[in-house]
Amino acid sequence: MDPEGGFAPGNRHPDVSGSSATTPAARGDAAVSQGEEAASETELVHAVLRKDRKATEEFVSRYSDSVYSYLSSRLLPHADVADDCFQQVFLDAWQALPGYRGDSGLKSWLLGIARHKVQDHFRERLRLAQWSEEDAEPAAEESLEASIEREEEQSLVWKMLGTLPENDRILLVWRYWERQSAEEMARQTGKSVKGVERALARAREHFRRRWQSEVQNG
Amino acid sequence: MADDLDFKRLASVAEAPYGPERKAPAWLKSRTYTALVQRQQESGPLLSLTGSKQNGRKLCVFEELVQIVPAGARTESAFFCKVCHARLLAEHIENAPIWWPGCPYVRFQNR
Repeated sequence: MDPEGGFAPGNRHPDVSGSSATTPAARGDAAVSQGEEAASETELVHAVLRKDRKATEEFVSRYSDSVYSYLSSRLLPHADVADDCFQQVFLDAWQALPGYRGDSGLKSWLLGIARHKVQDHFRERLRLAQWSEEDAEPAAEESLEASIEREEEQSLVWKMLGTLPENDRILLVWRYWERQSAEEMARQTGKSVKGVERALARAREHFRRRWQSEVQNG
Repeated sequence: MADDLDFKRLASVAEAPYGPERKAPAWLKSRTYTALVQRQQESGPLLSLTGSKQNGRKLCVFEELVQIVPAGARTESAFFCKVCHARLLAEHIENAPIWWPGCPYVRFQNR
């Protein structure tokens, strides 16, 4: 059981696929289309549970890009870890499928399983991390020039994250992209909250330096 | 904490919704499908090819052949892809030279 009761297969969980604002008319169309999608998903789930290999093919084909996209954004540059997790998400999904209630869409449900895999990886990596509890925090952090509205600047953020040392990247992604509190990160990794906060401050500083250097050098 | 808020803002704008969508490699989808079907077989036979066809699913040319000969339900439940060269190619080559209609491994290709 998930400690937060939020992401276990079969439970509702925050939609990591995101959502967008829509007009009332668009919402009406979307409601019809979501209804059709839900019916089609229910049919697909039943067919997979009957071990219809062709339905299983559709199951993998339909959701693979979303699952892979999420995993790779969180785990790259370690493509091998993302690949292992990808396969494991679908195998775990097969085990959990009899408990799938359809509260959230199948895609969100699969992404919930994927999120568990990512957090398992982060937890294991940071448990092994060695950082001194006594290390000083960096001096007051300068504000980031976070005017990253253009698409190329958004991808620059991911590029910057990819160049950070692994533990720094995991700390930042886990804290800010997976929205995990420092307290929970400390609890899951067996570290002190102060230690996690200091490590986060150092990771932010490393990111900031690279970001500013990249922005200044164009 | 201002720096904390700074990064929260950064994360919210630099993800739409979780980075640019990447296509899963065809070889990875192929291996995952094979592993999944094998996992399904561990708890009993697969649905027969006739059953799949009755559900409106398209069979590949080899499965069609098996399905029309009076081979029996047990034979029809076997995972024929396990001995098919299309699977082997698809699991090892990203853009595998396979084109048979109804073949799952062809469907996984990112072409």
